[in-house]
Amino acid sequence: MVDTGSWVTDYSLTFTHWLLVGGGVILVIWLTNRLLRLFGMNAEAATGLALIMPWVLGFLIFSLYPFIASFYLSLTEYNLLRPLSLDKLPPLVGLKNYQYALTDDPNFWPSIKLTLFYGAISIPLGLAGSLLTAMLLARNVRGVGIWRTIYYMPAVLPAAATALLWRWMFNPSSGLINTILSPFLNLFGLEKPAWFTDPQLVLPSYVIMGMWGIFGTTTVILLAGLKNVPRELYDAATVDGAGLFGQFRHVTLPQVTPTLFYVLVTSMIAALQFFTQALFITTPREAGTFLQVYIWQQAFQSQKMGYASALSWILLVLTLLLTLLVFRSQALWVFYEGELQPEKKRSRLRGLLAGARASQQLSGGQSTPHGGV
Amino acid sequence: MSTIRKILSLMILATLILTACGPSETQAPPAATEAPGSTEAPGATEAPAATESPSIPISGDKVTITLVTWAGADESNELQAVIDKVNAEATDFEIVHQPNPAEYYTKIQTMIAGNTAPDLMWLSQEYVANFADNGAIMDITDQVAALSDMPAAQLDDYYPGSIAVARYNDRLYGLPWIAQPVVLYYNPEMFEAAGIDPPDDTWTWDTFKDAAKQLTIKDASGNITQYGTAFNGWPPVQMFIWQAGGEVISPDLQSSPIDSPEAIEGAQFYADLIYNPDYAVPEEVIKEQGFGEMAKAGKVAMFFGGAADDLDYAYQKDPQNARMVMALVPKGPKDRTTFAWTAITAVSSQTENPDLAVKAMVALTDGIHHWKVLAPRKSLATVDVIATAVPGKEESAPVILQAAESMRSFNIIPRHAEWDTIFWEQFQDPLFHEKGTAADLAAAARAKLEELLP
Repeated sequence: MVDTGSWVTDYSLTFTHWLLVGGGVILVIWLTNRLLRLFGMNAEAATGLALIMPWVLGFLIFSLYPFIASFYLSLTEYNLLRPLSLDKLPPLVGLKNYQYALTDDPNFWPSIKLTLFYGAISIPLGLAGSLLTAMLLARNVRGVGIWRTIYYMPAVLPAAATALLWRWMFNPSSGLINTILSPFLNLFGLEKPAWFTDPQLVLPSYVIMGMWGIFGTTTVILLAGLKNVPRELYDAATVDGAGLFGQFRHVTLPQVTPTLFYVLVTSMIAALQFFTQALFITTPREAGTFLQVYIWQQAFQSQKMGYASALSWILLVLTLLLTLLVFRSQALWVFYEGELQPEKKRSRLRGLLAGARASQQLSGGQSTPHGGV
Repeated sequence: MSTIRKILSLMILATLILTACGPSETQAPPAATEAPGSTEAPGATEAPAATESPSIPISGDKVTITLVTWAGADESNELQAVIDKVNAEATDFEIVHQPNPAEYYTKIQTMIAGNTAPDLMWLSQEYVANFADNGAIMDITDQVAALSDMPAAQLDDYYPGSIAVARYNDRLYGLPWIAQPVVLYYNPEMFEAAGIDPPDDTWTWDTFKDAAKQLTIKDASGNITQYGTAFNGWPPVQMFIWQAGGEVISPDLQSSPIDSPEAIEGAQFYADLIYNPDYAVPEEVIKEQGFGEMAKAGKVAMFFGGAADDLDYAYQKDPQNARMVMALVPKGPKDRTTFAWTAITAVSSQTENPDLAVKAMVALTDGIHHWKVLAPRKSLATVDVIATAVPGKEESAPVILQAAESMRSFNIIPRHAEWDTIFWEQFQDPLFHEKGTAADLAAAARAKLEELLP
């Protein structure tokens, strides 16, 4: 029997609180609208801006302010246990935190190295595996909807649950992976790998675990990219004598490079921010610490929030530099339809389209039905 | 009409925004630092539904005092019973419990940073100096002195080793609610089968080591079927260093003499046993099968546990569990000092009701002293109190009381977390993984450790 009386007492305050917040949001929208109209803006624009104002305010307060504040804090010796206020600002130390990280901290560069190493292995493997999976899922096989759902499911699982699951799967004696590997290992007289307890195997274990998450999200995005590849190109390639590999190399791959580029950038950022699984799974100290985990340790175990902020900004700069590098590299390998690119790309495009036209003429304008590659 | 439509649209939009802004459910990672030996340490169990706590007086003139703890579901229910009793007797305050078992210290620090700290909070011993040094918890020396008519405020009644952790710079920053000495649990059936006499007061390190070797049994194919003992950094190596007459942080907090002959002897004794398959469970097996679980499952003959652990009465609850008996830890070259895991309740510096918060804390501490084993007060160190608090502990109570006489806690410095990281990374971890002897590693580690001393 629910005690409605106590429920009302317990939650009335929260309810009132949220009602006030709701009223505040409505007031902000209304005031923005009135103000913009007062300054002569037309009704449609004013309404649009007014409606996004709560989001803009939320962005300014909850994203931009902490972003700027963290840069300020990175120049200070801010200790988390000493609350900030205008009359009690943390001592400014200039660039000391950055200098310490880059020159004196014995754990910083190993963390960077481990994080980059993880990204360098997991991203190419993830992209290749996801592309292959997406190509399989793009085929019109029986129950393709179910397969797609199954492959996407890992993406909706919480990272913590994934970490716990994989910790069990990698259990050296009772885990699923070693149980499957056992007959083969016994055949060659090999020891069971210790996975997360063997410093040499920690990184490969994380990479394998990372594939699980990467496949789910990335496959769906690449699948969408594959579905946008014009069928005419495959028809043309078939007419020109291209086999499955030829179609993949000369049609599929160039056509999905914009999607691959997007996925590469997001995967790279995700790899640099690898955190939850690394925090959940205890590994030998020699295996190293991921940069995000190290930042968390500095902030919440050593209370050096100023130093942790500096490390975060270094991570941001590193992420920006790598992203910039990838963006600059796209001229070399990303194929955009309709864009003005170097001659090589244009000639390739012309060739492909000419092939497609010829194919259509030969087949009387009817494309060959197939489920994609 | 269009105005009404606009208003309705705005209301719907606001509702959507509110829904989107609602707290999303996030899974917190496990606590990085767990309280060793605690029955329900931070991060060990799931959180029960947090109690919504209004920040205004809730009944009559009673003022709400918020308490945040790492208590898990079961522990939280038991604590609530204690709190209910305290609240019933109090006329001017009402304690509201907010359990936060997952990632406790991260949350507490965030609350402090956001100026939303609870009035009362649990702190494990290694956090006290840091929180006190940074002004996060209140100096309660004078308030507690003024409440000396309350049983838990009589500081002379506390074991010296336990009240010491609540002090910083000779000022009091909280009251200990538990002091849990490390004891040795042994499996009597395994001892009987091996023809070894059970541990008693005459046991030394050598006796223990010999027994661990004899109790490690292999089958015909060389697979270990029973382990003599188990270590994984617990119990803390400090206990063995103290037993040899050494220190890792001197009592005056001015040095870290881990390279003294006594400290090296204690650390090396530990290093010779840990993960050594001739005596103890290998590291990978501990990680696979769990530490205490192996002892409970009857796979380990001797296990160092906290006095409050249920190893000695778990078999009464479930016959699948192995029967274990409690004994004192073996004696070292100097004495039989044992480590006591100690925790305090502290009062936040941000509390708006300092006097009432201290009063509530003292009343609550007394309540907890009649619930937890071991209450860190000499007047409550009786078999009856222990048996009343935890009936399953009645048989072990005499050993617990004996252990309490020689228990002590760490010497804590404000930068203890950093100190502990270096102590682990530069000394213990390489020592336990045979990257050097205690003598090889100690001098270099000492220099780095002493940079962090006050």
